[in-house]
Amino acid sequence: MARKDKSEVMGEQNKISTLLDEFSGDEQSYAALDDLLSDVNLQYTLRRYQMIGEVMRHELPDQLNIQFSASVKLHIDQIETHTRSTDIPSNLKGSSSLWAWPFLKPVAGLAIAATVALVSVTLWQSVNSGSPSSQVVDQLANVDRQQIEQLTNQTVPSEAVTVSTKINEGMRWTIINDTPALQQKLNAYLVNHTEYSNSMQGLIPQVRVVGFDSQQ
Amino acid sequence: MGTNQLDAELVKRVQNGDKIAFDILVQKYQQKVVNLISRFVSDQAECYDIAQETFIKAYRAIGNFRGDSQFYTWLYRIAANTAKNYLASRARKSPAYSVDVEDAEHYEGESGLKEYANPENLLLTDEIKKTIFRAIEALPEDLKSAITLRELEGLSYEEIAEVMDCPIGTVRSRIFRARDAIDKELRPLLE
Repeated sequence: MARKDKSEVMGEQNKISTLLDEFSGDEQSYAALDDLLSDVNLQYTLRRYQMIGEVMRHELPDQLNIQFSASVKLHIDQIETHTRSTDIPSNLKGSSSLWAWPFLKPVAGLAIAATVALVSVTLWQSVNSGSPSSQVVDQLANVDRQQIEQLTNQTVPSEAVTVSTKINEGMRWTIINDTPALQQKLNAYLVNHTEYSNSMQGLIPQVRVVGFDSQQ
Repeated sequence: MGTNQLDAELVKRVQNGDKIAFDILVQKYQQKVVNLISRFVSDQAECYDIAQETFIKAYRAIGNFRGDSQFYTWLYRIAANTAKNYLASRARKSPAYSVDVEDAEHYEGESGLKEYANPENLLLTDEIKKTIFRAIEALPEDLKSAITLRELEGLSYEEIAEVMDCPIGTVRSRIFRARDAIDKELRPLLE
């Protein structure tokens, strides 16, 4: 910045003196105000000119606080810095999903992990507890017996269709059907079913399912 | 047109984000605000604290200032309310901390601005006042009359020109020369 000569400085101070008393709103006034706001030395000059008036009017207190305006400025700067640091970034404003995503992400991950863990524990408990599965198997056996009796018109002893189950290798059931009576009944069921089945009747009568054993 | 117009222009610039414009307003009104607050609060250091709070409140609210009233009227209202609130909160509050008799000598209370209250500052303020009055006394009569009519009587340049029977330009020049002469004596004290 070029150093101003004495007459230039005097000219600027003259304008500041006039600005302090009368702001006419013309071009010169605005130019003087612009100079004041951009030159710290002119700001000090203005303060001293104001101080002269304050002393003349006996407005100055016993102890002058020279740092007052600097202290106010510092506090305002601190407040603004704090406000800026707690502001939502402008590029995230107005976009709730974008704003929320960084916070939602870990929560969603945690929720998914918790759900998976809960399902795993529930399944593991149901697999290991025997009673519910046994009940289901007994119900199935009972239904099977009734169906066989219905189809064959013969009474099937309950022990003949006792489907022995044991849970083995997870959820796979092994059906032990080694009773001769059951074999006989199942053969009869298959032959009769095939013969009287609506779907196959009249189309391929010569083809008959020959027995249960071959289907095994 | 006048100082109110200047205030309005400075407020407009503050609203547009110019913090230096607010600094000019602080400098212009700080003593008037402190003097107003001193009518409510006797302690001078507390007056400065409340004045500081007043200006911070004004800065935060200046965006909503629409110029329906003069800036200084608006500012004085904030100052008066801040002082009243201060007195009300002080009445409600019990002493924040007790001070032992031994420590009382060094007790300075809670104020953040009390550092300025010291013998050196008292001396400086006294020196500033004496210097200014001495410089005024030393002024030529025409300069002394011009600045007295302006600062003490609050006359406009036009009115002073009428009283002194001279052009406005001469009044403007005399007031500036008076200020410049006093400033030459004052400046070394503040640097």
